[in-house]
Amino acid sequence: MDFLYHNIHFIGAFGLMFIGLYMIAVKKNLIKKIIGLGFVETGINLFLIIIGYIKNGTAPIFSKAGLDPARMVDPVPQALVLTAIVINVAILALALGLAIRLYGHYKTLNVEKIRGLKW
Amino acid sequence: MVSTVWQNPVLLIVVPLGLAFFTPIIGLIRKELVKYIPILGMLFNLTLSLFLLPKVLDNPIIVSLSGWKPPFAINLFVGPVGILFSILISLVGLLTAIYGINYIKKGAVEKYHMLFLLLLTGATGIVLTGDIFNLFVFFEILCISSYALVAYNQDKNGIEAATKYLIQGSLGSAFILLGIGFLYGLFGTLNMADIARNITTVDSPALFIAMALFITGFGVEAAIFPLNAWLPDAHSSAPSTISAILSGIAIHIGIYAIFRVLYTLFGFNSIFTVLAVIGIVTLLIGEMSAFRQENIKRVLAYSSMGQMGLIIFALSIGTVDGISGGLFQIITHTLSKSLLFLCVGYMVYSTNSMELSSLNGLGKRMPLISLLFTIGVFSLIGLPPFIGFPSKLSIILAGLKTGETLFLILIVLMLLATVIEGVYFFRIIQILYFKEPDKEERFKTPFTLLFPVIILGLLIVAIGIYPGLLQEILDRSAEIFWDKLSYIKIVFGG
Amino acid sequence: MTLQLILLIGFCGAIITYFAGKILPVLREIFAVAISLLLVGMIVYAYGRYSQEIAQFGFLNFKIVFTLNRLSWLFAIIISSLSALSIIFSLSYMKGKERQDFFYMMMLFVSTSMLGIVFSGTFLQLFIFWEIMSWSTFLLISYSKGKAVKAGLKYITMSIIGSMAMLVAVISLYLKFGTLEISVISQNIDIASLRYLSCIFGLLFLGFGVKAAVVPLHTWLPDAHSEAPSPFSAILSGILIKMGIYGFILMMYMVVGIKIFMTLGVGWMKFHYVFAWLGVISILIPSFIAILQNDAKRLLAWSSVGQIGYIIVGISMGTGLGFLGGTFHIFSHAVFKGLLFLTIASVEYRTRTRDLDQLGGLIKKMPITFLGGLIGVMGLIGIPLTNGFISKWLIYKSLFESNRMFLLLFSLIGTWAAILYGYKILHNVFLGQLPEKYRNMKREPVFMQIPIIILSLTVILSGIFPGIILKLINNIAFSFGLESLNVNMWGVVSETGTLNIRNIFFGILAAIALVSIIFYSAKRSWKVSQDDNYAAGAFVPVEKYNYTVEFYAPLYKMIRKYLKDVIDIFYCWIAGLVDALCNGIRKIYTGDIGTYVGYILFFLAFLIIIYLRG
Repeated sequence: MDFLYHNIHFIGAFGLMFIGLYMIAVKKNLIKKIIGLGFVETGINLFLIIIGYIKNGTAPIFSKAGLDPARMVDPVPQALVLTAIVINVAILALALGLAIRLYGHYKTLNVEKIRGLKW
Repeated sequence: MVSTVWQNPVLLIVVPLGLAFFTPIIGLIRKELVKYIPILGMLFNLTLSLFLLPKVLDNPIIVSLSGWKPPFAINLFVGPVGILFSILISLVGLLTAIYGINYIKKGAVEKYHMLFLLLLTGATGIVLTGDIFNLFVFFEILCISSYALVAYNQDKNGIEAATKYLIQGSLGSAFILLGIGFLYGLFGTLNMADIARNITTVDSPALFIAMALFITGFGVEAAIFPLNAWLPDAHSSAPSTISAILSGIAIHIGIYAIFRVLYTLFGFNSIFTVLAVIGIVTLLIGEMSAFRQENIKRVLAYSSMGQMGLIIFALSIGTVDGISGGLFQIITHTLSKSLLFLCVGYMVYSTNSMELSSLNGLGKRMPLISLLFTIGVFSLIGLPPFIGFPSKLSIILAGLKTGETLFLILIVLMLLATVIEGVYFFRIIQILYFKEPDKEERFKTPFTLLFPVIILGLLIVAIGIYPGLLQEILDRSAEIFWDKLSYIKIVFGG
Repeated sequence: MTLQLILLIGFCGAIITYFAGKILPVLREIFAVAISLLLVGMIVYAYGRYSQEIAQFGFLNFKIVFTLNRLSWLFAIIISSLSALSIIFSLSYMKGKERQDFFYMMMLFVSTSMLGIVFSGTFLQLFIFWEIMSWSTFLLISYSKGKAVKAGLKYITMSIIGSMAMLVAVISLYLKFGTLEISVISQNIDIASLRYLSCIFGLLFLGFGVKAAVVPLHTWLPDAHSEAPSPFSAILSGILIKMGIYGFILMMYMVVGIKIFMTLGVGWMKFHYVFAWLGVISILIPSFIAILQNDAKRLLAWSSVGQIGYIIVGISMGTGLGFLGGTFHIFSHAVFKGLLFLTIASVEYRTRTRDLDQLGGLIKKMPITFLGGLIGVMGLIGIPLTNGFISKWLIYKSLFESNRMFLLLFSLIGTWAAILYGYKILHNVFLGQLPEKYRNMKREPVFMQIPIIILSLTVILSGIFPGIILKLINNIAFSFGLESLNVNMWGVVSETGTLNIRNIFFGILAAIALVSIIFYSAKRSWKVSQDDNYAAGAFVPVEKYNYTVEFYAPLYKMIRKYLKDVIDIFYCWIAGLVDALCNGIRKIYTGDIGTYVGYILFFLAFLIIIYLRG
């Protein structure tokens, strides 16, 4: 129980990733695959945040006197996550756009039927 | 270190990036101007890279952004390898852009040119940066623009290939980001030199998992078997200029990223053996899959896959000779494969079909293009007097020099793959020259299409006859690429 | 500088010829002939000026050295003169064909690359020129399209396999000796163990053997030689396959040295035994297969495999006499086989066919071609006063002296087969009845006559005065440390009376005189029109029965079922297997994105598992 308590955030992050991976690998619907991609990326973002997180920490800004630098949350992962989110938005937007176009060509979103290119 | 503003290596990234953002604006003013912007940017990059090359051969240049010293700021590591790649990128980019003047006419032209520039910027950024997250960002720029460009034709195949490429590619990128997370968790820094310096202090499974994540993530772009399923689809469905860029540059960038991470960050020697085997497997699978293809662009795409395997093998030999051979092979493949894709682009454009049978007798209908295509093919197979021969020779030499039985076996397999490659390529040559054409009429090739191809052909022959041109640069690059300690030393200045 | 200049002139000349043809066709022909003659001239000039030239530029870290010694001069002169004659021949033969610019360029390219091979002072150059030769040959073989396409593919496939083996051998030599210079390696050959040398020989056997068409590696030759444009077939059969022999001689005599070579091998299987037996098999079976052929060029192609067998038997004896015979046969085979191919080419040029079942009676229509064919076949069979006799005699003699009676027996049987197919080709093309459709045929053009006459004269002259070339070969043999034989203008002198053409010459002269005396003193025969007794005078059919079909019918029945090219069938089976495998392997790219993602996850798991297991 103690383990669970201390690592719940990691479990959550990796759980999200695994759900996402499962969706990408197994789900037949292209949109669901793309959602899975979103899951994976959210999980990773969460993971990055966790790395820099300190319990009961403060924001890494010297906004008032007497703040302990050791208790500040690491700002670098947060910067990374911001960048990663921007990238994810681009990827997801592009993916959805492509999915719409693909639907126009194939009249289906079932990836097992979208197999014009193979071998 | 940097004497004037105009010699600052940052410009290699800043100029094309800036031009990329200006492209739509210029497109609003005058649409015809747009297609000359990439030429401008790449010309600048080529000149600057060539200018920087002799300097970095002696001392790699470290550029710290925003005035902080590494490891606190993002720094660029402008070494011979980076500049070598940058030259290749800008050369192929320039030639492809010239080719594109007449080739890209339909669709959202200004978006094409913007994405094209972004792709090249991403590639240049990857090879120059010294920061792992910065590398990731540039990698994403490269990937996203290539996803979009693959779909540029907006036909059924293009969209499908782009979607598949996107899903696999972004899964790969996700892995890289996760790997970065692991590394940051372990070391609290993102500077590659800083991580490399401290790597021995940590002995944790997380380190290895991070490496596995990096290899898998970059491996998707680098087309390692079995991560390369997107490659034949994407390369064959994209417009030929983009195929040339993807095959000539993008996948090599993936390989660069893998080996930069492996050489500089991690020092596991055992992984190189695994990678060497994987490389040869990739080579065999690629060449064997190409053997029975009936679609010319797919043949070339599978052949790219095979060549990637060869390069991975060469870089995993784990000696300076091997790396030098691998870099040489990268140059070979960049020049030859872009040449081939550009030639095929024109063939497909003229005959309106990608089937091999539609190439019947093209040797008569477009003699110059066919001749150049033949040069490219011979060079890829590794026949003298073309550039492929010295590069393949140096790889085999490096492999046998290790004296290990494993490498001997791998080289025998590699030669077998060469035989297969030779057979299917020679068959295409026969189709070009020794089959009766359907029609007699000749195609007139516009000069802008011809010029880049001729330049590439000349380079292939020139370096093939006198490989000494590159020898010194390659050896020096390989030394610096391989030497982790000097990398750390150079970044931290003494 | 001379050697580099020769190669430079050859390669640049080839390219200039191509562009000259774009301007004016005549210009191209003048250029091609001029350059090929210039090459001959330069090589004649280089006679006796044996030297080594170190090139100004290197290749990677390798030195580039050009050497000229007696052996390479001999090969060079054969190469350059035969290609010059073929090019002259092509002036008529190629008239009206398409893509002549390309043809002439490639002819010059092939010959120059062969010159490059014999001038190579390092193995690296040898390999480079070898490869250039391979691909330029490939481009020419498929020139005629149709069936030639498949032949070309077969050739290049085997050729690549061979050159890959050779590449490994070459690089391994470099790693062993630290240099690729042939002269340096031959000086330090002692540091290599016999086992190592055996491995190298095995690899090089693949490389050289494919080009030389030794029996298990010969299957490309019948297709390629018969489908290539005929003037080029002459080069292929005359000199290209000799490049493989050159490689063998280089390795056996120059690099390793014959003394060490005779001890090489695995256990009791000594290489020179294997080699000699492969040579004999190459003589025996292909010669009989040649009898069965109805395509004149295919017949000659199979005959080439047989004749290469003689050369190999000769040089694998390791004695001075064997070397003399084998090397002389390189020369004689180049001359008479070149002559025969050109003869057939000129027949083909006029009749548009080379099917032996449809030809016949051309003796009156093309007398010079007939004479060429006759002399060529005489050389092939080895009738005294032709150069074929000299070389075969020396080879038999060396087999006899080395006490290798089985080899001798089989070689003689091979010669018997050669007589049969030699007569067949001569008879079916030139003798017998002239088919009606060739009644109004014109004579062969003058550019075809010149090479045929020159080559015929060479066959006869070098048959009567073999000493000119034997002396040169004897010097080569002496430089390789073989015993020096006493060679004079008329042959080889030794106590056992090895070879004396003078006696034979006068003997034959006497015989001819005797026969003519009898012939002319006897009652004169009278001429009968062909139609007089045809169909017993009842009627004269226009389409006559062509009795050349199934020429040796009883013999065919006997041997046909044993003479399948099993090796070719085996290779084709392997090729089919590889093809199916390749087709199967690409099915892993299923087109389903879920599978692909599965591959990625699997790969990640694979890497991590490798780590967890150590």
